[in-house]
Amino acid sequence: MHPSCLIVIPALNESATIADVVARTRQVMDCPVLVVSDASDDDTAARARMAGAQVLELPIRLGAWGAIQTGLRWAWRHGFRQVLTLDADGQHPPEALPLLRARLADADVVIGTCPQRLSLAKRIAWAYFRILTGLRVLDVTSGLRAYGEEAIALLARPEASLLDYQDIGVLMLLSGQGLALEEMPVAMRPRQCGRSRVFSNWFQVGRYMIHTTVLCVARIRRRLPAGSTP
Amino acid sequence: MTLPVLSLVVGFSLAGTILYLVRRDHLHGPYALGWLLLAAMVIVVAIVPASIDWVGRAVGIYYPPILLCLLAIAALLIKSLVSDLERSRQERKIRRLSQKLAIIERELADLRESQGLPPLRPDHEHDDT
Repeated sequence: MHPSCLIVIPALNESATIADVVARTRQVMDCPVLVVSDASDDDTAARARMAGAQVLELPIRLGAWGAIQTGLRWAWRHGFRQVLTLDADGQHPPEALPLLRARLADADVVIGTCPQRLSLAKRIAWAYFRILTGLRVLDVTSGLRAYGEEAIALLARPEASLLDYQDIGVLMLLSGQGLALEEMPVAMRPRQCGRSRVFSNWFQVGRYMIHTTVLCVARIRRRLPAGSTP
Repeated sequence: MTLPVLSLVVGFSLAGTILYLVRRDHLHGPYALGWLLLAAMVIVVAIVPASIDWVGRAVGIYYPPILLCLLAIAALLIKSLVSDLERSRQERKIRRLSQKLAIIERELADLRESQGLPPLRPDHEHDDT
C-alpha cells in the first residue's frame, strides 16, 4: 500500500531558488508539491506555480512554522497521510526525501539532519536544550522532515499555532504526546543564498535562547487535553 | 477645589467616559466592567476619604495612604497580564484565520478552474487590513 503523500515547501522571498527546488523535488517524488508562500514580496508564488507546484499564499506573514502549519492543515483537510517538508532555499537535497519517507514506516516523525554542518555555537545550544527537554534529537531546527498521519493531526491543531519556530516547541509537543521521533543523517548543501534567520546576530541568538528556555521549562511533561481534532 | 471634590469629578467623568465608549461600541463588555469598578472605587474614596485608613489599618499597613499606591500598582499589573493573555488569544486566531484564508482561496480557485470559470482577479498587493 502506498499512503498518499504531500510535499510542503514553506517559502519567503525565495524567487531565485524555488523553481529549481520544486522541479528537482518533482523529479524524485511522485506526489503533489505544495508551496506555501509566507506573504512573499517577490514572484516566489508565480515561479513555484510555473514549476508545477500548487501554491498557497498567506495574506500576512506568519513565519516559517506558520507556513508549514498551513501546509499541514491543507494535508489534514485533503486526507494526506504523510507530509514531507524541505526548505525553499535549496539547502536540502530532494533526493533524500524517498529515504525519509521510507523511515516513516517505524517512526511518526523523521528529521533529516546534517551533523557536520552544525557550528560550535549550535552544538552547544542544542546540547543545552537536549538536557533541558530530554529530547534526543541532534539538530532540532532542521526543516527537512517527514511527518506521519498522527503527527499531521496533532500539529494542525490550534495548540501548535502560537509556536514561532518549527524546532523545540514542535518537537516537545510531538514527544509529549508519545510520538516517536527519529533522525536521519543527510548530506546537505550550503545555503545558496540567505543565511540562518535565527543565528544571524547575537541579539537574535540571545532572544531565541531565552524564549526557547522559557518554552522548555513551561512545557515540561505537558499533555494536551485529549479529543479535539483540528 | 478640594481633593475630595477633584476625586469625585475624576470618578464620575471616568464612569461617564466608559459608558460613552461602550455606547459607541469602542469598548468591549467585560473590559468596561473593570473600568467602571475602578470609577466606583474612586468615587467611594472621594466621598469617604477615611475609608483608605480603615482598610489600611485592617490589613496592617503602617502608613495607610501607601495602600492606594499598592492597590494601583497591583491593578495595573493584573490589567497588563490580562491584556497580554487576550493578545495571545487574538494572535492565535489571526494566525489560524490567515492560514484558513490561504487554504480556502486555493480551494476556491481550483474549484472554479474545474468548473471552467475564469480565474478571479488578484487582490491588491498586500491587502493586509
